[in-house]
Amino acid sequence: MEWLTPLTAFYAAAVSVPLLLLLYFLKLKRREQIVSSTLLWKRAVQDLQVNAPFQRLRRNILLLLQLLMLLALLLALAAPILALTAGGARRYVLLIDRSASMSATDIKPTRLDQAKKQAGTFVESLRGESFFSLRGARDQTMVIGFDNHAKVMCNFTADKRQLIAAIDRIAPGDGDSALAEAVMVAQAFAQAPGEEPQNQSVRETAKMILFSDGRIHDLDEIMVSTDELTFHCIGESTENVGVTAMQARRSYEDPDRIDVFATVANYGDEPATTDVQLSINNDVRAVKSVTIPSGKTGDDSDDAGPGKVAVNFALSYAEAGVLQVKQLLRDSLASDDAAWAILSPPKRLSVLLVTNGNTVLELALKACPLAGLDLMSPAQFDANGISDFSAEKAYDVIVLDNHLPAKLPKCRYLVFGRPPNEIDVSVAEQLENQVIVDWRPKHAVLKYVSLTNLFAQECYKMVLPRDAEVLAEFNESPALALLRRKGSVFLLAGFDVLKTTWPFEPSFVLFCYNAVSFLGMQVGQNQQVNLQVGEPIVIQGLAPGVTAAIDGPGFSDSEIKASSAGTIRFPGTDRVGIYGLRISQQLPRLFAVNLLDPLESNIGPRREIVLSGQQVQARESAVTRANLPLWPFLVGLVLILACLEWLIYNRKVRI
Amino acid sequence: MEKTKATTARKRLTDLLDPEFMTRLDALDVLSRKILQGKLQGERRSKRHGQSVEFADHRPYVVGDDLRFVDWNIYGRLEQLFLKLFLEEQDLTVHIVADASASMSMGEPSKELFIKKLAAALGYVSLVNNNRVSMSMFGDGLTGQLANMRGRNYLHQMADFLLTAECDGLSQFDTTCRQVVGGRIGSGVMIVLSDFLFKEGYDSGLRRLIGRQYDLYVIQVLSAQELSPDLGGDLKLIDIEDADVAEITVSAALAKYYKRNLTAYCNELKDFCTRRGAVYVLASSADSVESLVLNYLRRIRLLR
Repeated sequence: MEWLTPLTAFYAAAVSVPLLLLLYFLKLKRREQIVSSTLLWKRAVQDLQVNAPFQRLRRNILLLLQLLMLLALLLALAAPILALTAGGARRYVLLIDRSASMSATDIKPTRLDQAKKQAGTFVESLRGESFFSLRGARDQTMVIGFDNHAKVMCNFTADKRQLIAAIDRIAPGDGDSALAEAVMVAQAFAQAPGEEPQNQSVRETAKMILFSDGRIHDLDEIMVSTDELTFHCIGESTENVGVTAMQARRSYEDPDRIDVFATVANYGDEPATTDVQLSINNDVRAVKSVTIPSGKTGDDSDDAGPGKVAVNFALSYAEAGVLQVKQLLRDSLASDDAAWAILSPPKRLSVLLVTNGNTVLELALKACPLAGLDLMSPAQFDANGISDFSAEKAYDVIVLDNHLPAKLPKCRYLVFGRPPNEIDVSVAEQLENQVIVDWRPKHAVLKYVSLTNLFAQECYKMVLPRDAEVLAEFNESPALALLRRKGSVFLLAGFDVLKTTWPFEPSFVLFCYNAVSFLGMQVGQNQQVNLQVGEPIVIQGLAPGVTAAIDGPGFSDSEIKASSAGTIRFPGTDRVGIYGLRISQQLPRLFAVNLLDPLESNIGPRREIVLSGQQVQARESAVTRANLPLWPFLVGLVLILACLEWLIYNRKVRI
Repeated sequence: MEKTKATTARKRLTDLLDPEFMTRLDALDVLSRKILQGKLQGERRSKRHGQSVEFADHRPYVVGDDLRFVDWNIYGRLEQLFLKLFLEEQDLTVHIVADASASMSMGEPSKELFIKKLAAALGYVSLVNNNRVSMSMFGDGLTGQLANMRGRNYLHQMADFLLTAECDGLSQFDTTCRQVVGGRIGSGVMIVLSDFLFKEGYDSGLRRLIGRQYDLYVIQVLSAQELSPDLGGDLKLIDIEDADVAEITVSAALAKYYKRNLTAYCNELKDFCTRRGAVYVLASSADSVESLVLNYLRRIRLLR
């Protein structure tokens, strides 16, 4: 047994016990009653009472009862705890899932609150420090909150108040659940040697207590034996409808036109009908009613896929803005009901072709929807100073056709022929009769491009630096490569187009189109504006030390300073929504942070998780106290004593 | 005139005794366990030899004896002069001493009324049977006395005396007894009516009465509230006579002790009386005077 607040009881006792005794010494205000003679009464009183007050008190059962009552109350105030667990001190790590699915409201108020409550109960039932404790066993506990990152809320301690405060501090997040990092952190902390010299249980492995809904995507990466981890599954319902994918694109042909593709998924057992609403800058533009079939129910409900419906919108909008797709059905999880995209204003590219005359390339580029295509001979290009090209204002993309310029202004280059100097690419030798053996058709540059029939009569054998991205390979050399150097982007094609069969292929035009689009997209490439939860907001190329103010869901005007390299990095994107970043004398920048994670939208609790190939069943019962707070019993005793006293008093007073 | 006064007196006597009760009382008489010396010739035997019809003894004639009492028949047979002796019949003195201190006014019904009724009934019986009746009321000493009443004519006077007596003041029993004894009322039946709750004690007073030639009856009258108190809570008890204060918290234990004390007190008084040849009677003011007089007092042979 231990006492949580013995001192409080001490102080209360020091005041109340003398007070109660004093009350018995105090004279009562008595009712006057005239009798014929006090003779017999006095004798009776003399018989009854011996003059000494303590003897008087000794026989007073009412006082005895009151003292007992007071004692019981004081003991209750001291909050005695009867420990039902035996054994030596243990170490626990509480792992509390705060990912998006834990914000589901199928358990009121939310799953996370329930998890925190259960964790609180668990902490309450630990054997803490108390100078009244019958034995010295003190359980050490650590609290870790995790979504896609683990955060240590509280290191190992036996202080329950600190632990409960740490549990309370865990805020809901919208990230996905990745337990591996949390487990790694827990194991690292648990093995910290010699931290508490008097604690004999350091060598014992800490037991992990996981509070989660079981929707953890990296379970296969965790190396934990099943008896090290206790799993408490929180969650009941699988009912959720969420936007699991969303993309907004401007059409290349008509940059005013925006195509929005969204996928709405239903994880419930019943088909759901919902309205999907598209809005730009909070103006509703379109609403579509969709019926989503129920999730496929298999034998193993965990693997049942959701019912999905793709929703497409097409609209015309020629300005920058925030686009939102929202499903309007009220469900358990709110953070996946909407997805945002930041629309950049439509941009047509202006391209400079530096060539001694290449009709094929010129025609192919002309086929692309460009703002303008300028032609320049290599002599003109070299004659112009860097200053003319210094900014990206002039051209978005420069196409170099068999030219090695003396200086390379900062821009985006599509290079045919020998790669330029100064970009760490050297040419080993010239090769002949090369065929394409492999390419990356999924890369944006090679989308819909088939290089099967590409044959090069001559080409340069490029020796690329490590960070170069090879997009296509000849049998002896890289054919296409992507490289970033000095703020410029180079798409290198190590051959002369005219010495290949490519111009005869339809893929050539597609490649040019893709390449120009891709390189054009690299304008402000450093600014990734559509992020997933947990991805940091990164802005590069700022003046060092510039301060920016960030607004986001749940906070505003958070100051952040650029590093000495001129980079701002804001990692706190753990809630979905629109984040705004303001730098003085610049246009405000918006970032959309979306959940768009089918794994988190699937809120169905998983009662069984597989760790290192072993199944861990969730504890069926909620966490109950492993110890018994005794104060309710004491208060009950007080009530009984009060009734008893009342009875005795009445019997004494009535004759 | 005489008649009106009598009617008012009768009327007032009926305040104490109802007529039916009085008719039943008519059949009773006061008995004395002792043969006592009276003052006047009366209806009772006395120790004295004197003129009466009841023969007692013979004795030889001495010079100076009244020749009228010589038994001439014996002289005829024996030629010696013998005197016939007769038992003289004398009257019986009944002395009723009633408590009229303030404490008697307590009780529900009050002890005062009970005592006055009882005194009236006893006085009635005595007067009707031509006994000499003295009636005294006492508080802190004798507060009133009617002495030497005899015959029915005194009934109204007695009733008047009883009804006008007020209960007030302290009770000084010892002083009272001294005054009673000093009053030279003469031997007879002495009936003391009181609650006997005297702070200074009853023994010295009673001892004065017992020492004389009295046939003493001690009737202790207590109210129902005294016999079994109906009190509760924290009380400040004030004595009605001397304003003495007793603070009590009524509890079952206290009540128990009170009853134990009461019983002990009454038993002590009873012992005191019986050991000295007096008769002790305990009466509750809640009981009816009628049944006490007609049943109990006859059973203890105070009345016949």
